[in-house]
Amino acid sequence: MTASTIMPEARSASAALRRNFWRGVWRVMKRKPSRMVGVVIMAGFAFMGIFGPMLYPERLPRDTNALYAAPSWAHPFGTDFEGTDVLALVVTGARYVLLTGLVTAVITVVLGAGIGLFAGFRRGRWDTVLMRITDMKLTIPGLPLLLVLSTIWKFTSAIEMGLVLGLLGWGGVARAVRSQTLSLRERGFVEAARGLGLSTPHIIGRELLPSMAPYIAMNMLIAVTGAVYAQVGLFFLGVLPFEANNWGVMLNLAVFGGGALTTTAALPYLLAPLLAILLLTLGIVLVVDAMDEIFNPRLREE
Amino acid sequence: MTLIGVPGRSGGIAVVRRLAGHLARGLVMILVVTTISFLIIRNIPGDPMAAKYEKLVEQGMSPEAAQQAVNVLYGFMPTGSMWEQYLDYMKGLARLDLGQSLTVPGTGVGTVLMSAAKWTLIPVLAGTLLSFLVGIILGVYAAIKRQGKLGDLLAISGSLLHGVPQYVLALLLGAIFTTLIPILPAGGTADIMFEPGFNAGYIGSLIQHATLPVVTYALASYGGWILAMKSSVVTVLGDDFILAAELRGMKRSIIFRYIARNAILPLFTILALSLGMLFGGAIFIERIFNYPGLGLMLIDSITGRDYALMGGAFLLITVAIIIANIAADLLYTVIDPRVRSGGEAA
Repeated sequence: MTASTIMPEARSASAALRRNFWRGVWRVMKRKPSRMVGVVIMAGFAFMGIFGPMLYPERLPRDTNALYAAPSWAHPFGTDFEGTDVLALVVTGARYVLLTGLVTAVITVVLGAGIGLFAGFRRGRWDTVLMRITDMKLTIPGLPLLLVLSTIWKFTSAIEMGLVLGLLGWGGVARAVRSQTLSLRERGFVEAARGLGLSTPHIIGRELLPSMAPYIAMNMLIAVTGAVYAQVGLFFLGVLPFEANNWGVMLNLAVFGGGALTTTAALPYLLAPLLAILLLTLGIVLVVDAMDEIFNPRLREE
Repeated sequence: MTLIGVPGRSGGIAVVRRLAGHLARGLVMILVVTTISFLIIRNIPGDPMAAKYEKLVEQGMSPEAAQQAVNVLYGFMPTGSMWEQYLDYMKGLARLDLGQSLTVPGTGVGTVLMSAAKWTLIPVLAGTLLSFLVGIILGVYAAIKRQGKLGDLLAISGSLLHGVPQYVLALLLGAIFTTLIPILPAGGTADIMFEPGFNAGYIGSLIQHATLPVVTYALASYGGWILAMKSSVVTVLGDDFILAAELRGMKRSIIFRYIARNAILPLFTILALSLGMLFGGAIFIERIFNYPGLGLMLIDSITGRDYALMGGAFLLITVAIIIANIAADLLYTVIDPRVRSGGEAA
C-alpha cells in the first residue's frame, strides 16, 4: 500500500513508466492542437472558479446610468438590469457552477464505481437487485423529478445541489463500470491474482480499479458536464430561490426579466453565460477526446 | 451473422414472456413514480392540504364537508394516517382521478393535462421524425465518406449538437430568429387575431409558432441520430454480405439500401431514449417559447403552488417516458428478425 513497501528497483521502474506516460500524453496533445485548446480552456475555467470571486469586490459595482448597456471596452458583454458588468457576473458565477460540478462528479463516481464494481464482481442476486435499481433510476427522467423535488427541498447551495445531482446521476456510471468489471474479471491477470490467493479487496482495489481508472475518469468529466447543464437549467427555470450569482440565474433574469427574446437590449446579457457554457462544453469534449487516445492504446497506434 | 432461430412455437412463447416481463417492470416503475409523487405532495412545506382544510372550516364549513372538499382537490383526506392517504391517492389514480386543478377551478387535473398533452406530443413527434430522417440519411453519408472532409464535418456537427443542452439551443435559436432577425413569433401557439379552427390563417399561424419548438427538438436529437447511424453503418460495411454484393457487381443504389436497412435496426432502441430526452427537454423548450404543453404546465403548477396539477403533470411525463421505453424495446423485437427468435426469418 505505502511507498516504503516498494523495492528500489521497482520504484525506479515505476518512475520510468511515469515518464513514458507523460511523454505519451505530450505526443497525443501535440498530434491535435485542438486538444491543447481544450486543456487551456479547462485551466481557464478552473482559474475562474478558484480565483474569479477574488478579482472583484464582494458586491459588484453597479453603474446605474448604464442599464443594459451595449458591449464596450469597459463592459465587454454589456451590463445587466442593475448596471452590473456582465463579464464580472460570468466570472464570479463560475465558482458555484464548477463547485457543483465537482461535488456531483465525486458522488457520481464513488457511488457509480462502487456499485458497478460490487455488482459486477459479486454477480448473482446482488447484481440482479442492484442493476434493477440502476435501470429504474435510468428510466425515471431526472429533470421532472428534480423540479418536483424542488417543492419540498430548496437545494440552492452548491454543495446541496451537487449532492442532489450526484445522488440522482450515478446510474450510467454504475452500468458502465459493471459491464467493464464483468469482462475484466475473466481476464488472465485477475485469474492469476485469485490463484495467488489474494483477497477480494486487493483484487478489486489493486487489480480491477487501476485498469478501469481512465474509463471512470472520463465518465467523471461527462458527469461534470451533465451537472453543469442540469443546475444552470434548474436556475434558468426559476424553481429555486436565487441566493448566489450563477449562470442559470443570469439566463433566467435575461430572458424572463429582460425580455432577451423580444428586444435586443438584453441580448449580450443572455449570450455571455451561454457562451461560457458552450466554451466549457468544448473544453470538456476536447479533453475527453485526448484522454480517450492516451488511455486507449489501440487508438494511439496509427 | 444470422442466428439459427429456435422453432416457431417456443419463439412465440419467448415474445410473450418478454412482453409480460416488460409490462411487469413497467408497472413496478409506475408504482415507484406514483409513490414518489405522493410522498412529495404529502410533504410539501406548509402542508397545503391541512391549510386548505382549516381555511374551509374557518369559513363555516362543517369538518366533514371540508374534508370532502379537500379530498376532491387532492385525492386524499387531509386528516388521516399516511397509509390511508396513500391508499386513497392510489385508488384515485387507479380510477384515473388525479384531483382538481387550482389554477383552473372546478376542472379535473386529467382534463387540464389532456388539453396540454397535444401541445407537447405533436411538436415532439414532428421534431423526432424530422431529425430521424435527416440524421439517418446524413449518418449513412458520414459513414461512407468518413475519410473525407465532409464526413468529418458531419460527425463534428453531430457531436456538438449532441453535447449542447437543449435550452442553449432553444435560447440561441430564439435570440437569432425572434430578436436579431425577428421573422418568427417569440411564443404562444397562434396569433389571437385568428379564429381557432380549420382556416388558412389559423393553421398558418400555428405552423409559424410551432416552427421554433419543432426545429429545436429536431436539432437536439439530430446529433444522436447521425452519430448512431454513422457507427452502425461502419459496422455493417465490414459485414461479408456487403462485400459479396459488391463482388457480384450490384448497383450502388441497391447496396446502399442493403446497408441502410441493416444499419437502421439498432437505432430503434435509441428512439426510446431520444423520445424520453425530448419529453424532459420539453420543459425547457416550452418554457422558453411559452408553448402551453405539459412541460410548461409542470413549471407553472410548481410556481403557482397547484400541487394536484403538479403531481399529475409529473406522472404523465414520467409514465409517457416509461411506456415509450417499453414500446421501443418491443418494437425492436418485432422488427429485427435476429432478435425475434423464430418465425419466418429462421
